[in-house]
Amino acid sequence: MAKPQVKARDNTNRWIIIAMAVLVVATGVIFSMLGQSNKENAALAGLDGTKLKPAVVSTIDVENGSAITYNSGLATVIDIWEDPQCPVCKNFENAIGEYVNSLVREKKATVRFHVLSFLGDESVRAANAGFCAADEGQYLDFNTALYKVQSPLENSGFWSGETLISIGKKIGITSSKFANCVTKGSNVALVQANAESMAKFGVRGTPTIFINGKVWEREISDFNLIEFRAAVEGA
Amino acid sequence: MKSSHEKFAPWLTLLARLALGGVLLVAGGLKVSKPTESANATAAYKILPTDLAHLAGYALPWLEVVIGLLLIFGIMVRYAAVAGGLIMIVFIGAIISVWARGMVIDCGCFGGGGVLDPSLAASARRTYLIEILRDLGLALCALYLYFFPSGKLGIEKTSSEEQ
Repeated sequence: MAKPQVKARDNTNRWIIIAMAVLVVATGVIFSMLGQSNKENAALAGLDGTKLKPAVVSTIDVENGSAITYNSGLATVIDIWEDPQCPVCKNFENAIGEYVNSLVREKKATVRFHVLSFLGDESVRAANAGFCAADEGQYLDFNTALYKVQSPLENSGFWSGETLISIGKKIGITSSKFANCVTKGSNVALVQANAESMAKFGVRGTPTIFINGKVWEREISDFNLIEFRAAVEGA
Repeated sequence: MKSSHEKFAPWLTLLARLALGGVLLVAGGLKVSKPTESANATAAYKILPTDLAHLAGYALPWLEVVIGLLLIFGIMVRYAAVAGGLIMIVFIGAIISVWARGMVIDCGCFGGGGVLDPSLAASARRTYLIEILRDLGLALCALYLYFFPSGKLGIEKTSSEEQ
């Protein structure tokens, strides 16, 4: 009589254990998802109050991979190859982006931004939006903002057209032309041209930086502003 | 022959439980605190659609921890071994698929993950082979546990003897 009783109790335990295991996994998944979207929204909210700097007109340099080009024709030429979703590019931007922007604004160097998109659909969308911002003369500020809100999870769904337009709005790019350009993907052909030019220039990963046509090989493993500035000024 | 196996079986079972369970617990434990990294790692295999890959990346560390703990404590060993074995088969399949497509990635098995520099292709292929062999060994542990679930130092003694 005792034996079947034990068996019955064991089956109950079995189901309890299975249910608890499922609960643990489900809780883990839900908290991971919530944590992810919270981080993304917090980063977006962090853009509030950003003041847009004066517009700087850029051109598209078809000869050089259709890059977004500033101050064409100066002695020092910097080529920056980056993908808006690439986390290491964010490190570069954090350490050195402001300096690069100042070189552009003070007309001290020709700077070509090659906006790549090999990390997926959201890179294509963000790159397209970057070209839309360039049409408004606001690529520098938009690029800075993109990296500020870059999601640590690639292709998480965060950089929808809607979010990209709202990033623009938050930093002061409010024209309906920009919004239309983002929604319609008006500059996808340029995005593609940039992507296709990688092979021609021997670029295999991001970020890759050329100073006067030579790859910048850094000696300090973290991006270092002093090292970069020395490389630019010595070029 | 048979009687000598009968004598050692409970110890072999314990060993298999600790090997499979220990690896799962460590692999999962290293990843639970980094869900984003894990989700990026599963997406890097480019097998599932991105959203599903992210979901799998969130679930996997917890699943590994749960199965690992069940095996180590010796609770529902046969079920846990089947689950652990299936996970190993999925891992082996995923690595073979990546290898066959000529992709160069970090498996992200114990954290990390993602696309590697193409210049590392040769060492990545070596790593794939080691990973496949390791997972194969762990799958064999799971197979053994399916047939001999009752062993030493297991909490659920009576029930596993009845299985």
